[in-house]
Amino acid sequence: MSQFKVLKSLVIDSLDTITKGSIKYHIWMGGLTLVMLIGMYCYFIQLDEGLSVTGMSDSVSWGLYISNFTFLVGVAAAAVMLVMPTYILKDIDFKQAVLIGEGLAVAALIMCLAFVVADMGGPSVLWHMIPGIGVFNFPNSMLTWDVIVLNVYLFINISIPFYILFRHYQGKEAMKKVYVPGAILSVFWAVAIHLVTAFLYQGLQARPFWNNALLGPRFLASAFAAGPALIILVLAVIRSFTAFRIEDRTIKKIALIVTVAAQINLIMLVSELFKEFYAPTHHSESAYYLFFGLHGKNALLPWIWTAIPLNVLATIMLTFGKLRNNLKVLYFCCFILFVAIWIEKGFGLIVPGFIPGPYGKIVEYLPTGIEIGVTLGIWALGAFVFTILAKTAIGIELGELRYKDKNSSAS
Amino acid sequence: MKNKNLTYYFLILLAVSFFSCKKEGEYHSITDKIEAESKPYHGKLTSDELLAGSELMEITEGKHTFLILERKGQIKSFACIECHSKPVTQMKSLDGQKAHWDIKMNHANSEIINCATCHNGKDMNNLNSLTGKNIDFNLSYKLCAQCHSSQFEDWKGGAHGKKVAGWAPPRASMTCVNCHNPHSPGYETRWPVQFNTQKGIERKEGLDH
Amino acid sequence: MSENKKWHSLDLGLNKKKEASGACGCGKSQGSCNSQEEELSADEFYEAAINASIGDERQRDGFEQVFDVKMDRRTAFKKLTASLLIGAGAVSTSCSVVAGDDTKEKAQIDWEEQFKGNYKLMNDEEKQGTINRLMRSYELRTGKNISMTAENAEEDVLFGYAFNISKCQGYMDCVSACVEENNQDRNSQMQYIRIHEMKDGEGFKFDKADDNYYHEVPAEGHFYLGTQCFHCDNPPCVEVCPVQATWKEEDGLVVIDYDWCIGCRYCMAACPYDGRRFNWSKPEVPANEINKNQHYLGNRMRKKGVMEKCTFCVQRSRKGKNPACVDACPTGARIFGNLLDPNSTIRWVLENKKVFRLKEDLGTEPKFWYFMD
Repeated sequence: MSQFKVLKSLVIDSLDTITKGSIKYHIWMGGLTLVMLIGMYCYFIQLDEGLSVTGMSDSVSWGLYISNFTFLVGVAAAAVMLVMPTYILKDIDFKQAVLIGEGLAVAALIMCLAFVVADMGGPSVLWHMIPGIGVFNFPNSMLTWDVIVLNVYLFINISIPFYILFRHYQGKEAMKKVYVPGAILSVFWAVAIHLVTAFLYQGLQARPFWNNALLGPRFLASAFAAGPALIILVLAVIRSFTAFRIEDRTIKKIALIVTVAAQINLIMLVSELFKEFYAPTHHSESAYYLFFGLHGKNALLPWIWTAIPLNVLATIMLTFGKLRNNLKVLYFCCFILFVAIWIEKGFGLIVPGFIPGPYGKIVEYLPTGIEIGVTLGIWALGAFVFTILAKTAIGIELGELRYKDKNSSAS
Repeated sequence: MKNKNLTYYFLILLAVSFFSCKKEGEYHSITDKIEAESKPYHGKLTSDELLAGSELMEITEGKHTFLILERKGQIKSFACIECHSKPVTQMKSLDGQKAHWDIKMNHANSEIINCATCHNGKDMNNLNSLTGKNIDFNLSYKLCAQCHSSQFEDWKGGAHGKKVAGWAPPRASMTCVNCHNPHSPGYETRWPVQFNTQKGIERKEGLDH
Repeated sequence: MSENKKWHSLDLGLNKKKEASGACGCGKSQGSCNSQEEELSADEFYEAAINASIGDERQRDGFEQVFDVKMDRRTAFKKLTASLLIGAGAVSTSCSVVAGDDTKEKAQIDWEEQFKGNYKLMNDEEKQGTINRLMRSYELRTGKNISMTAENAEEDVLFGYAFNISKCQGYMDCVSACVEENNQDRNSQMQYIRIHEMKDGEGFKFDKADDNYYHEVPAEGHFYLGTQCFHCDNPPCVEVCPVQATWKEEDGLVVIDYDWCIGCRYCMAACPYDGRRFNWSKPEVPANEINKNQHYLGNRMRKKGVMEKCTFCVQRSRKGKNPACVDACPTGARIFGNLLDPNSTIRWVLENKKVFRLKEDLGTEPKFWYFMD
């Protein structure tokens, strides 16, 4: 019973924390709310008129939503890059960052689920997917695997930090034997969520652009570059706006992870490009379309030719220790790497999978305003959720939030 | 030691059976399935009802026995001898209204084919084979088969031509003259019945491609 | 109706005329149910609920989809809870003595349809139940009758299709016959069949082929090849569907339960043959063009946000007829039949002509063969 009382107090305290803050904080949250409302409005239009308000068509049947979903699964998986050394390798440097990382994973997963729901033609019958009530096509459909692994990952990533924070909130140490098994599990699970998401595409013999063995590993590499890059940026913001202490060493260690992952990603990209262009078959049409355009259709060229140079530039700069250890340069590199991988995994991966279509017909895809509105709204939702989680976590970690046992003080 | 090996074998067996028995009763390919489950259909679905309104007759050609549409009843001016009371040569010399003014021969060329190739000037009620034998109007396909033997083979089997009703037995096929005008058997060029304007918009194409 | 249904059913005083008003069983707490009724009379509330979810569809007739949901943008929020609202409306109207029998019946039908199970798993009685509801609902909303059936696959039947490339002249009669037969959306000009115009001497160059030509056909130096859903024996679309809303029937037809589909479009990505179509907006068919001979798995009216595709005209083929495209083809290029019957013409084609299928290397085993004279 007393645990419930602590929980109640925690909820009240955290509500108190997240509603108070500096003017900047209020502007930030207000801005996010506004974007979320705009996103909701766009979503209502989409519900009303149908998905025809998006840029998608029978030919390109997945677009911005699924692109973002794919990318964010990677971001969520990347939290593991922090969990692993902290809990398992006992590298103390990351301890500060790991709560932030896991909070980021939770926010990313919530965004993933929101993107999937936004992409559905019939969100009102989504209950058909709930095992028991509906019909769950497991194990045949990779989408059901994805639903399972994502939700379990969400659960793990909520419960571990919650347990730690809940203990800290009461001024107690978190017990290692409780959370370390969960942490180890989450390491494997993070790989699983991203691999399964890759299999979602990789398993389609209809789409040769996706149907290659490198897709899964490349997903992992790019995720482990983009995710920690985002974490670095977030840590930088937290460092400058809160009293939460994050050491340079921590950030530099994460930067090392980003660097290695970005290098591996680049090697895989080269391997893929070699295969597509050295001995091109008709299966290389999508790659041709992506990089050079096909039959005069070249909507993706600006995107991919933004992403590739950014990616290469960031990787090269990160490779040099001198540049990497300069925090200003590091932040810049992380930012351009993040953008590059977002483009590569969205416009560079999902969309060209559909172009050309099964019979070689080219229908191009560009997102509409409504689609962009919904997307921004969901990103704002993610940022909003993350801010709330991070603010509470930081409050507890800094000792500002502590459970005060009213019974003991009264007696 | 031995026990351990056994366990491994068992596990491998289990894994193999798991992957190979993905679905029960599944055939390696669709042709295997067709071969294995092949069996003449005598189910409750028939085309009898659909065929009820049509005059049909059964024919047997080679191994195939099936129904075709009766023809004579469909020819407006049958029987021909009602007009063709005299041989054609005599009728041609007569003054007055010409019959069959609408018939334009566009079938091979005049060196190979003329009216008399198929019509018997002395017995207009029947058709005329190349060897001068009578062919009933109802069995006009025999006439076509004299030259178009490969089409005839396909037609007998069902690869050429259309069915009168549905897929369900009994099989009732249209004959050559149900689709082809024997005097001008080719198909004309014409415009497609529809044009999809949305598809063009989607692909950002002009109409003039 | 049946006693043991696989879905949540709500018996709302249609069978038993009077129910204790307390036990309204809307699933919500009684308070919220009553508080609604304080503000609105039961009739008004029902109107509001239906309006939020169906809008003016009751007045418009014909092409209006039976259960599609249409609403004003300003009332958009209500849309999110449309099914709940209908449920609540159903409860409030059926609990009330004032509401008309028609209104009650509509609410009852809407409720049962919203929460019915997957057609694939239904028994015959349940299938009959749902098509009866759909027909009745159409009648209540439009005042017109449709005939909907739920024939199951026949034994010893496996449907197959053959297409004669030498014969097709590109007239596209099949395409329009298909659209008329299957009640496809006229606004987006959805078509299941594509006819590809290819140049002689270049082989099957699909990327260079034109599937949207408009000139006199057959064009000099071209040949024509039609594609549609191939009803694969090993269909990738069925494998990937997360909710088993699409499946292969015993007679080989790959079908979709439009009411069970969640619209994720994974099947569309998985189909190597461009065989599937999605309703990006609300499908509309002018009232006088609706084909009223419908099958649950075939040409019944669809709603927005669900997949659809060629079903070899299940409403026709399961009655022994040919699909509409086969009947419409003026050149006899299309052959349809029972693959298991050795006496069928399709079997003769497979055994005596040089047949091939598209993308055979993918292992999808289409039941749609091409051949030449």
